[in-house]
Amino acid sequence: MIVCTDCSQAQLLAGAIALGEAGDAERDAYRAHVAGCGRCLLDLGGEREIERVIAVVARARDQERWEPDLRTALVRRRRIRVGWAVSAVLAAVVLVVSLRVTERPNPAVSPAHAITAQEARALAALDTQTVSRPQGRAESLVVGATTVSASFEMSVDARGIPVRCAITKSSGDRSLDQSVCNAAMRSHYAQPSTRNH
Amino acid sequence: MEACHRSDATTVAQARTEALVVEYQTKLARYVRRMVGDAEVALDLTQDVFMSAYRMLQADPNRELTAGWLYRAATNAAISFIRRRKILRVLPLDREIDRSTWRVDERSASSVDLQAALARLPVEQSAALLLTSYVGYSSSEAAAMLGTTSDAVRQRVCRAMRVLRSVMKEGMGE
Repeated sequence: MIVCTDCSQAQLLAGAIALGEAGDAERDAYRAHVAGCGRCLLDLGGEREIERVIAVVARARDQERWEPDLRTALVRRRRIRVGWAVSAVLAAVVLVVSLRVTERPNPAVSPAHAITAQEARALAALDTQTVSRPQGRAESLVVGATTVSASFEMSVDARGIPVRCAITKSSGDRSLDQSVCNAAMRSHYAQPSTRNH
Repeated sequence: MEACHRSDATTVAQARTEALVVEYQTKLARYVRRMVGDAEVALDLTQDVFMSAYRMLQADPNRELTAGWLYRAATNAAISFIRRRKILRVLPLDREIDRSTWRVDERSASSVDLQAALARLPVEQSAALLLTSYVGYSSSEAAAMLGTTSDAVRQRVCRAMRVLRSVMKEGMGE
């Protein structure tokens, strides 16, 4: 028995054929429809044509070469949109940075260099989550599963503006070291000591 | 005690999210890139998806999060992005958006045809076509993600295919 199908039903059948979900009955019904409906035949094509067209989608997928890496993408993105914690989840290493600040003997300046939210935010921009431990002046920058640690020493001038950052214990990755220093420099710069007066 | 419990949940959530990222980031980001036509945007949206996965796992570390959940979230993110972009494009001054739109780097004929077709399709049809033929879900699975019926998915696939076919014909110089 051939089921009489209208054009909108034929579209459902064509969709089912395209998705490989059509059984014999559906295929028969589609064939019967396009045999008598020139418009659908022109518009959608026969079964072979449907399969040829839909194959383009899978072929395009198989030819994809884009290998996105959310972990590296994050670094770039966070510069624009500094956010919390995201990075922590996505990146690959745990970086424990112990922060030591060398200051000139100017007591009025020193509060500016405590571990602050400002600083934490700048470090978050590094692709990391910060867990502040204000007293120890150390931060765990949680970025993943392995633990790497780096220490640096920051020199600031009398106004509290950083002039030099030196790595005292390398994390083993030079670019990581550099990023840590950059973030530290930025964070200090972003918080001039004058605000604490 | 409380703090200890909370940091445990965070650790579990991080580990689970990381596993999801490792397993799905490529597939998911490629799907989103096809949806929105732009790699930068795709990365942003994909990150947002993993971020919400992370937040959910932080709230409930034992919660089950399937690939289907990720694809559904990614689809919703892409759809709302495209709708927002459409509104922006109506504004006369925003030519930037037009220029950055629909750029996918792969230059094979199939890839170009597919992207050209997707650029013309209503977003619901793009999603239906991609979730099925590109990602590999059945029409009923895709229907569940899109909040519709599998017949509707089949019909959208058919309409999408019609556009794809005409793009292919244009490519042939017909």
